[in-house]
Amino acid sequence: MTTASLTAADLSVEFSGLRALDRVSITLNTGEILGLIGPNGSGKTTLVNALTGHVRALEGTITCAGETITHLKPFQIARKGVARSFQIVRLFRNLTVLENVETAAIVRGASRPAARRRGLALLEDLGLAALAEEPAGALSYGDERRVEIARALAAEPRFLLLDEPAAGMNEAEGHALVAMLSALPAARNLGLLVIDHHMPLIMRLCQRLHVLASGRTIGEGDVETVRRLPAVIEAYLGVSAVEAADA
Amino acid sequence: MPDRRTLITLAVLVAAVAVSVAVAELSGVRLIDRVVTVMCINLILVLGLQVFMGNSGILSFAHIGFMGIGAYTTALFTLPLQMRGMVLPNLYDVLATVELSPALGIALGGLVAAMVAAALSFPLMRLSDAAAVITSFALLVVLHTIMVHWSEVTNGPRTFFGVPEATGLYQAAGVAVLAIVGALAFKESRTGVLLRASRDDEVAAHTIGANVPVLRWRGFVLSAFMAGVGGGLWAHFITSFSPNAFYLKETFVILGMLVIGGGATVTGAVVGTIAVTIAYEGLRAFENMLNTEQVFDGTVVGLTEVVLACAMIGILVLRPEGLAGSCEIGATALFRRRPQPTGERP
Repeated sequence: MTTASLTAADLSVEFSGLRALDRVSITLNTGEILGLIGPNGSGKTTLVNALTGHVRALEGTITCAGETITHLKPFQIARKGVARSFQIVRLFRNLTVLENVETAAIVRGASRPAARRRGLALLEDLGLAALAEEPAGALSYGDERRVEIARALAAEPRFLLLDEPAAGMNEAEGHALVAMLSALPAARNLGLLVIDHHMPLIMRLCQRLHVLASGRTIGEGDVETVRRLPAVIEAYLGVSAVEAADA
Repeated sequence: MPDRRTLITLAVLVAAVAVSVAVAELSGVRLIDRVVTVMCINLILVLGLQVFMGNSGILSFAHIGFMGIGAYTTALFTLPLQMRGMVLPNLYDVLATVELSPALGIALGGLVAAMVAAALSFPLMRLSDAAAVITSFALLVVLHTIMVHWSEVTNGPRTFFGVPEATGLYQAAGVAVLAIVGALAFKESRTGVLLRASRDDEVAAHTIGANVPVLRWRGFVLSAFMAGVGGGLWAHFITSFSPNAFYLKETFVILGMLVIGGGATVTGAVVGTIAVTIAYEGLRAFENMLNTEQVFDGTVVGLTEVVLACAMIGILVLRPEGLAGSCEIGATALFRRRPQPTGERP
């Protein structure tokens, strides 16, 4: 299988003069899981928003499999194969769970029967088959998150960006999620980027980490290298380590 | 192949129209025949509004303007040639020689309404919420103003008369059934599903790759086509009308029917149309009785409008999803397949 990448080069984003991202460069390859970490307000969600076109880049370029997508609209970027989830789940609440998953397949050109089949297969894979006909507005928090991931996968993305996928899940659900996510890059030939605050989850899941603080990259590389960087320990892991010791 | 629930919904709603027709036929009363005919025409208009509003979640005031386009188009092309000089003294020479049958005229009315909608609405479909509602209202005002002032084809604010009478109970009911099929098919189509998704969460719809303005535009054009056909049928029923027929009063009635029934579903459109028609006719009879019996000193007027307005307020406060609720009749517990008995009891 060929490798492609989603790349941002020297990406900057400003909100009314406040610099939310400052010349950040990041590369996500198909077949890998990249963890995006950093303290609150460091620009993680803004980076995902910029990569998916929800926030305009002030400078810098974004390419997807070699094609420049910097100024495309969110729906156009989605059609290039970049899917995402949201920190606060956004489902189509009046549609059924199955219809939610179907929508992404329909956008990719599937007929309704084909979208239905693909949706049912995905729900089966994610252990959600029993909920297929339930309205999406009536789900538990953990199920909502998994339906959102199923919907993203129905578009058959090459890159999947997940913003805190484990938020609100209990220990067991979190473990199941890690197992499911770990298998994705190889099984579906996609690149997975995961934002999460929960360090043990990130450590188990990711091969590579990218660390942001105050909108700047302060470290990147494989997990072992990054966790030894003094800037990272100070900005992020230090705090987390203290919290872990307290718990 | 549509799923079972959609087919059940279709069957029940078509049955509701069939029962209404049967009541009119069996009663043999001319007034009831006319009431049911108008109800079927209104149903087409309400379903047309539901196609856009129910699926996209955007309130449109422009709908009745497209009804007017359909009515004037068929009136213009079906008016007997010898009457044209009398009704439309300033008609363009090109149009003075064409005469169509009412069926063709009504179809053409729908097409013209759809084409006007297609051309005008594209920039508007980017708008959401209040901006979309206000621009649709502005569009109604523009369409109305054109009808009032384009004397060459509409006879201006004066009455356009002499339209051949061609719409009877069966024609109206037949087209209403087609409108039910169309509205259900659109709702379950690929465009319909994505449009409903964008209604629930526009940002998420962008994120899955849906081009929301284009989806809305398709719904709007189909909606205008149905309004145009409804307007054409009405023109051949009433045979003479003026631009005021396609303005605020009619907008309020059609919108009221959809809101009271429940805009999110085709079932709601049918329930609202039938319920409001029955209430309207009941109130009108009551009002007449009050006036002929001289229960009060003065005459009672406007009872129907006031009650409809209060009903709308009451529904929006107490049951915002409308009388029919948020799911189609075929998807309610009434028709849920019972689990097969397993044969053994624990």
